[in-house]
Amino acid sequence: MELLIGAWNYFISKQDLMIIVLREHVNLVLWATLLTILIGVPLGILIARTQKVRDIVLGSVSVLYTIPILAFFGFLIPIMGIGSTPALVALVIYGLLPVIRNSCVGITQVHPMVKEAARGMGTNNWQLLFKVEIPLAFPVIFAGIRTALVMNFSLATYAVFIGAGGMGRIIMQGIRTFNTSMLLAGILMVVITTVLLERIIGYVDVRIQKRFSLGK
Amino acid sequence: MTREISVELQKVSKLYGQDKVVDEVSFTVEKGEIFVLIGPSGCGKTTTLKMINQLIPHTSGNILVNGIDVAELDAVELRRSIGYVIQYIGLLPHLTIQENIAFVLKLTKQSKKMQKEKAEELIETVGLPTNYLTRYPRELSGGQQQRVGVARALAANPDILLMDEPFGAVDPLTREQLQNELLRLQETIRKTIVFVTHDIQEAFKVGSRIGILKQGKLVCLGTPMEIVKTDDEFVKSFIGQGALFEVLDTIEVSRVLEKEVPLVSENEKVDRTADILSGWDNVFVVNSDSKCLGYIPLNTLEPDGSFSKGQIISLPASSTPDISVKFAVEKMLWEGRTWLPIVDEKDGFKGIVLFRSCADLLAGDRG
Ligand SMILES: Nc1ncnc2c1ncn2[C@@H]1O[C@H](COP(=O)(O)OP(=O)(O)OP(=O)(O)O)[C@@H](O)[C@H]1O
Ligand SMILES: [Mg+2]
Repeated sequence: MELLIGAWNYFISKQDLMIIVLREHVNLVLWATLLTILIGVPLGILIARTQKVRDIVLGSVSVLYTIPILAFFGFLIPIMGIGSTPALVALVIYGLLPVIRNSCVGITQVHPMVKEAARGMGTNNWQLLFKVEIPLAFPVIFAGIRTALVMNFSLATYAVFIGAGGMGRIIMQGIRTFNTSMLLAGILMVVITTVLLERIIGYVDVRIQKRFSLGK
Repeated sequence: MTREISVELQKVSKLYGQDKVVDEVSFTVEKGEIFVLIGPSGCGKTTTLKMINQLIPHTSGNILVNGIDVAELDAVELRRSIGYVIQYIGLLPHLTIQENIAFVLKLTKQSKKMQKEKAEELIETVGLPTNYLTRYPRELSGGQQQRVGVARALAANPDILLMDEPFGAVDPLTREQLQNELLRLQETIRKTIVFVTHDIQEAFKVGSRIGILKQGKLVCLGTPMEIVKTDDEFVKSFIGQGALFEVLDTIEVSRVLEKEVPLVSENEKVDRTADILSGWDNVFVVNSDSKCLGYIPLNTLEPDGSFSKGQIISLPASSTPDISVKFAVEKMLWEGRTWLPIVDEKDGFKGIVLFRSCADLLAGDRG
């Protein structure tokens, strides 16, 4: 209990810092997720067309996924130095797998009869993609984005190791200076924001599933 | 008047590798008719149908739609100009019924207002309430979804409809209802319809002409009557014996109606020497409104041809001219008589159907 009060007092006294690290964190995650979507969704849709390319791409992305993120940073520093760019790159790569995989699965699972009906009514390739395939795949694609976002949000805590700031800063400093109040404040902040994020996106997800599952 | 041809296949084939799944099929579909393609599973019905709107490109031969070779048309435009109804999952699950019906209009960028109006008009055409427009396909029964499928195919006002087992996924009762609705609708819209089914009863019911496919080849082509009279063993076994009777269901009794019936008004005498009496056992008594009061067997008449009211035997239950021959035959068998009086809705006497004429219909060219 004392610990908690200490953490709370620390939090209040360093409000400005807290807001700064939160902003760094959110910024990093949002940019990373945006880039992940921009790269991952089109790539996933593209590879849905051919089985062979699909196996190659999904295979190689899965391999990248198994590398621990700290090792990844170590690998990126010689190439990009430190700062937010390598952190961004690392997060994007981590987020790609669920987004690519779900986009691909979402598109391939659209029933061939539905596509045929749409083509029979005279959709061209783009109309088929944007008016039929993507809307029908959307709940699955969104689930992939959700996974990437939540994952990136917690992974971004490590960004401090590469000098990209974020909430990890508070935790790191807390550990280094043996300041338990600071450490606890950092941990609680990460936990609470993550839970909050999950709640919000979970709510959106439910809305989307509800809206789209009506059809199936 | 020369008949207009809407769809024509000239020696059309489809090869998958070495497999000839459609083999030099030729037929013409006249404007406004329902042409049925039928055959066992895997004989190439769907493939043939999809080649018409080029969902499947043909390997050789020519396909003409309204006189133009489809090879010269843009496939997307061609499909937009032809209505397409498929079995089962034909509706787009993520769109409301209104969006489904107006889908083609949206593709061709018609105004929202026009899309809405057309959807409202068409959902009524197929007999569904307009408040269904905001529902999703999953919230409709199979039969209702099929109706929406038909409405959607009509949205761009095409003059040709392709229907691939459109009523295949519904129970027999709903199916019959949908068939009846299609026929009723066709009375007013007069589309050219190419209809695929594997149900011979359905083929006889809706088809003006029927083409039978066997392993990609068109083995028989003709009206239901012509089809049942074919000697081809495959065709016979495919149709089955029951179909002989079924085909009578497609013919209105008015086609075998005897109109030259001996009549007498209630106050007259029968002229026993009249030619018209030959072959008849009874005369039929009509009043001044041409209502039939009943009949009198010739052998109960007075020698001078006169009769009293009491001698008139009232008619057995009569039927209207729009019943099918099959129905008439069943009714005669049921009542154990060889003739059936036919009256119009206002009870006016139209004539008599003889059991013999019904049998002759089938025997016709067989004998
Ligand atoms: N893409 C394809 N590649 C190879 N063979 C195919 C392909 N599509 C269809 N076929 C074959 O072509 C033949 C005709 O198929 P089609 O779908 O036209 O049959 P159908 O008469 O509609 O049968 P059903 O009554 O079962 O619907 C079948 O033997 C089928 O296996
Ligand atoms: Mg088929």
